[in-house]
Amino acid sequence: MAGVMETEEQARHRFQLELEFVQCLANPNYLNFLAQRGYLREKPFVNYLKYLLYWKEPEYAKFLKYPHCLHMLELLQYEHFRKELVNAQCAKFIDEQQILHWQHYSRKRTRLQQALVEQQQQQPQAPSHGNTTSK
Amino acid sequence: MAAAEKPTKEKLLSTLDDIEVLSRELIEMLALSRTQKLPQPGEDTEQILELLVQRDKEFQELMQTAVEQGRVHQEMQALEKEVEKRDSDIQQLQKQLKEAEHILATAVYQAKEKLKSIDKARKGSISSEEIIKYAHRISASNAVCAPLNWVPGDPRRPYPTDLEMRSGILGNMSNMSTNGVNGHLPGDALAAGRLPDILTPQYPWQSADVSMGILPPHHGNDFGLEPPGHNKENEDDVEAMSTDSSSSSSDSD
Repeated sequence: MAGVMETEEQARHRFQLELEFVQCLANPNYLNFLAQRGYLREKPFVNYLKYLLYWKEPEYAKFLKYPHCLHMLELLQYEHFRKELVNAQCAKFIDEQQILHWQHYSRKRTRLQQALVEQQQQQPQAPSHGNTTSK
Repeated sequence: MAAAEKPTKEKLLSTLDDIEVLSRELIEMLALSRTQKLPQPGEDTEQILELLVQRDKEFQELMQTAVEQGRVHQEMQALEKEVEKRDSDIQQLQKQLKEAEHILATAVYQAKEKLKSIDKARKGSISSEEIIKYAHRISASNAVCAPLNWVPGDPRRPYPTDLEMRSGILGNMSNMSTNGVNGHLPGDALAAGRLPDILTPQYPWQSADVSMGILPPHHGNDFGLEPPGHNKENEDDVEAMSTDSSSSSSDSD
């Protein structure tokens, strides 16, 4: 089964398939879907998830567009996580947290920009403040 | 030497005792001969005198020996002191040596650790240019950082959405008739067999991908493949197509 030699064409194709599949794992709704249909309980599937860990190597990781999938892949190695994913609330929670985290940097940036704007607004008053503080 | 048989002190004391006894006898004899007014036979007195002289000689000799012994004893003490001093010197040197060894051992150990970490860092080194390129790629598509104008209700997500998934190769697998693919997923033929059931095909994407001319190297058991970045472009194209469709679907919503 696994010992059969594949052609280059097939290898390329398989690469693309695995690339797409591993990135789909970043979608918590998809994970919930897989869990509810029992795929996450099957030993061959669990072995496949372990095999997919090769995407963590830098020479493969550079092809990933959605890097969240690597974290999900790591979590999926744990049976507890796979069991929990059957619940829709679990998947929803993960989804919400993921999106909030995704917004983290934009929020940080807007906060920094706001702080900068406030600083600039305060600058014209700076000389008077300086006199009071020196006293 | 005589001292090996009996301590000099004892000998001296015994000689002194003898002298004491002899002289007492002599004095008693003399005193007796005085009171008794008899001419004492001179033999006894002579004997006693001789013995006395002998004992005195012995005594003198023993004193000499004692002095000699005292000197030797003093020398011995001086040497012992020297020995003690040298001993303490050696001990101190030993301590310093131990300390030095300890410091050197620590230094060597830390140097080895450093070398190990250098090796490790060298192994994992990636050109900064590549990292920056990758950072651009994943940020530009908003995959890791939300777009600044994102509001709840925006269909964009940090993971591939349903539409994107369906537009990819996986989504179109039930359209294809290549048997090779199904047989070669390692360890899990089931996943290969079942995935087409999950995703319904919408966009026939497959032919466009392959015609891009990707040439990955092939590793036998490892299944390690390294196609060039064309695949990323495929994902981008998928993204482009799906954002078009998603924007149209959000319009319809």
